[in-house]
Amino acid sequence: MNTSPLLEISGLKTHFFLDEGTVKAVEGADLMVQHGTTVGIVGESGCGKSVTAYSILQLVESPGKIVAGKILWQRPEATGGDLLDLAALKPNSREIHAIRGGEIAMIFQEPLTSLSPIHTIGDQIVEAIRLHRPVSQEEARRQAVQMLQRVGIPRPEERLDNYPFQLSGGMRQRAMIAMALSCHPSLLIADEPTTALDVTTQAQILELMSELQNDFGMSILLITHNLGVVAEMCDQVVVMYLGQVVEQADTVTLFNDPKHPYTQALMRSIPKIGQRRRGRLDPIKGMVPDPYNRPHGCCFHPRCDKFVPGLCDQQEPPLRKLKSGGMVRCVLYGE
Amino acid sequence: MADSSPNILLSVENLKMHFPIRKGFGRKIVGHVRAVDDVSFSVCCGETLGLVGESGCGKTTIGRCILRAYDPTQGAIHYQNGRGQSVDLAQLQGKDLISYRRELRMIFQDPYSSLNPRMTVMDIVAEPLRIHRIAEGREIEDRVAETLRKVGLRPEYMRRYPHAFSGGQRQRIGIARALVLDPRLVVCDEPVSALDVSVQAQILNLLQDLQSEFNLTYLFISHDLSVVEYLANQVAVMYVGLLVEVASTDELFQSPKHPYTEALLSAVPKTVPRRNPQRIILKGDVADPANPPSGCYFHPRCPYAIDRCQTEAPALREIGPGRKVACHLAEQLKLHGVETS
Amino acid sequence: MTTEAPQSIPTPRVEAPREVEAQVFVAPQWKLVWWKFRKHKMAMVSGVILILIYLVALFADFLAPFDPGLTNSTYLYVPPQSIHADFGEGKPGVYVYGVTSTVDPVALRREFTIDPSQVIPLKFWGRGWEYKLLGIFKTNLHLFGPADPAQPAYLLGADRLGRDLLSRMIMGTRISMSIGLVGVFFSLVLGIFLGGISGYYGGSWDQLIQRLIDFLRSIPSIPLWMGLAAAMPLQWPAQRVYFAITVILSLIGWTSLARVVRGRFLSLREEDFVTAARLDGASQPRIIFRHMLPAFTSHIIASITLAIPGMILSETSLSFLGLGLREPVVSWGVLLQDAQDIRSIATAPWLLIPAIAVVVSVLALNFLGDGLRDAADPYTR
Repeated sequence: MNTSPLLEISGLKTHFFLDEGTVKAVEGADLMVQHGTTVGIVGESGCGKSVTAYSILQLVESPGKIVAGKILWQRPEATGGDLLDLAALKPNSREIHAIRGGEIAMIFQEPLTSLSPIHTIGDQIVEAIRLHRPVSQEEARRQAVQMLQRVGIPRPEERLDNYPFQLSGGMRQRAMIAMALSCHPSLLIADEPTTALDVTTQAQILELMSELQNDFGMSILLITHNLGVVAEMCDQVVVMYLGQVVEQADTVTLFNDPKHPYTQALMRSIPKIGQRRRGRLDPIKGMVPDPYNRPHGCCFHPRCDKFVPGLCDQQEPPLRKLKSGGMVRCVLYGE
Repeated sequence: MADSSPNILLSVENLKMHFPIRKGFGRKIVGHVRAVDDVSFSVCCGETLGLVGESGCGKTTIGRCILRAYDPTQGAIHYQNGRGQSVDLAQLQGKDLISYRRELRMIFQDPYSSLNPRMTVMDIVAEPLRIHRIAEGREIEDRVAETLRKVGLRPEYMRRYPHAFSGGQRQRIGIARALVLDPRLVVCDEPVSALDVSVQAQILNLLQDLQSEFNLTYLFISHDLSVVEYLANQVAVMYVGLLVEVASTDELFQSPKHPYTEALLSAVPKTVPRRNPQRIILKGDVADPANPPSGCYFHPRCPYAIDRCQTEAPALREIGPGRKVACHLAEQLKLHGVETS
Repeated sequence: MTTEAPQSIPTPRVEAPREVEAQVFVAPQWKLVWWKFRKHKMAMVSGVILILIYLVALFADFLAPFDPGLTNSTYLYVPPQSIHADFGEGKPGVYVYGVTSTVDPVALRREFTIDPSQVIPLKFWGRGWEYKLLGIFKTNLHLFGPADPAQPAYLLGADRLGRDLLSRMIMGTRISMSIGLVGVFFSLVLGIFLGGISGYYGGSWDQLIQRLIDFLRSIPSIPLWMGLAAAMPLQWPAQRVYFAITVILSLIGWTSLARVVRGRFLSLREEDFVTAARLDGASQPRIIFRHMLPAFTSHIIASITLAIPGMILSETSLSFLGLGLREPVVSWGVLLQDAQDIRSIATAPWLLIPAIAVVVSVLALNFLGDGLRDAADPYTR
């Protein structure tokens, strides 16, 4: 297989220019997605994980804007196989339209808001297929049935004529996945795909995504706040805090030996199933600072228990490569 | 821990809550959603009963029935009041009911919609004191300040409005409102699921501290099994309006007796990388409570179902001390729990 | 109102100096609404214009240089006399030139020529016709007028009976602008009461009231008004006609307000904080008046502001059609009645000036209402 990464984001900065001030939603995101792997982005609300994903597809809406950075996308052989900087494309350009849905597809937390309520599931999938491929209406419909069947929707011919509201939450998410995969993208961006679902349905959807990944050989960029989902699904994990990537490692290393104090604290603070009552939980002190008022220096320093006065609050540490292959943004891991 | 202890604070018997489905011009009743269908359980004084289940299973409805935000269709809610008398909350009306609103309180899920944005923190927390005429003037302020301090907020901020606070702090205000009347039973309806992961632990710790300090009894409603495992002494699992299993937390998590509990436990993503050998993936969707299947409601999705499950609904029966299961095969099945790490 | 408040809309996460931040945190609803409203430039300008218009209405007789009912057969259809100023030594200051009328012997049409030799000085704080200021103090003091009240100074021209259009327009402000307020007040009472019942209790009351609203809204309004206006006896005094017209207008007007109130009630009923108040043990009146009502007063103010222009327009059209107010009552609609036939517009186009007043006030009310509506809920996340 190709050894160059499928997607490489470096130094991405996406800012929102509001009346109240500039929100630096993404302020330094670096990550890499290799062919056929699953990369997870974890972080709390407001850490910029979704904005990073939206930036990849140029879906950031005004007053938001990509102000710096590169998003290098390795186009598949069928469309030329060249390396394209998505950050440099205009949000309405022909290239990005061809890539959106065709080469990179996206699924969202709540399918109801991203599926059109006035068109049937079938119409929407058929439209998605015909937008990217020169096939007839009948052929597209046949493919749509196939896709619905593939994602485990029973009686797909009937379901094709249903409207989104007629399906249950899990079925809607399946339909959404079917639509996203209908053009065989090489990257699937999943933004909190199971957050709105119950645990048993979540298990179904996660299982389905792993299966489909094996079948289609695509890469997945999974955005979630749930460390459990990351542990089960991902090969690589990127941890974000306040718009910055603070740590990146392969999943096993990250869970067994987290490096950044934020990752460590996050792992300690969440209640884990099967860890019956070991006294009190160990929460992270304070709260996520507001995005208008980023702390000076390392943005985690006010909450960090390894805070070094005079160092952490003065200079923003760079993202450093570790011997283990991961990266971390913390002064504790200097050369 | 869970044996039939004499100090039962709350015991719910055969509780039913059916919501009518109305259709058409005359708003005729065409059916019922059986949100809660014949549920019985009890909570001991000073303990926490975790009520788990997936969305729409009726767990929130039970909480609201106990607090009488809804009028239950049928059943009894026996409550041991502060003077040692037992009252049936389901039968109370008017003034009698209002006096019990002091002892039974609620913490809401959404820290944004549950606080009136037009009232100051002081007014929000003082509202129950004023309604029940417990304190007056200066005394109200002192009590509010004291309660705010208890929940970890600075009393100087009581003149502020809710919009000045973050989600976690707002949830603390909600907890202060519940505690200002010195309640005995607190219904916590998903109190941490709307909060950021790093804040959840703070609130869970706070709830635990308050419980031991004021001898509170919690009915803890949640869909998050890891949170329930952390906080509850006993757990009741619900599926489509029915209880399917009740057990002490340790027993339930280590050796579940109902196939649904097993599936639920196995579905929770573990924070151990890629170690998920035999996750049970259930077929299909949760049953529709307006039109449930015959027999055991879980049988269409159950991997162990036999013919009997399709026709005969299993009753919730005692299979050990403090341990109840609604499954025909409870004794035969060897189900997997969660490995303790 | 507070002027030292922060410029931006208060989200607590705004980077701001400490004191300003704390001020946002303790700001009650009306302050947040005001801060948000203040950012709406058009609404602010409109608000100022409306304050001026209502001041005009309040002090109409003080501002009107002539008695609006005073006829003068010499000056029928006099065109507007333009104002001149000359502040030199011994000069008249602000003045208008006199006009002399001649009758064209061929066309038999009266024609006016400006007579520069005749200077009619205008005077501030002059004496003129007698009236009661605010209905209490008998006086003849006016803001301005010709130094000699008997001399003509028709700044906006005169109508077919030689009455001063400016004075009549100023006096008409009173009726036209107040009929909206009074009409909306009636609608509000009906709307809140019926909408509240409909929204809070629901069930069959809701059904009944909603169908009634559907029915009332389906009646074409002009024929309904015509029927009702025709039923009014001709010999009714002006006040009673005025009152009857407002009632007729609010008969339709309440329905939209009732819908707003009902909608707010329905959505608030499901809010967690209302449930919380119920679980606190609050009585029903306490829940309604302390917890629910404050949540939609601002919405109601916004919708009544948006309802007033409709009332003003309805009054104007009714009066224009001759179904509403009648002489000697003066309203903008009554004034526009004079501009009905093409001949009088051709000879005296200034008779259309009252229409400008209608347009300006209706636009101002609409912009103000828009601003209020946008600011009504400062808590949206």
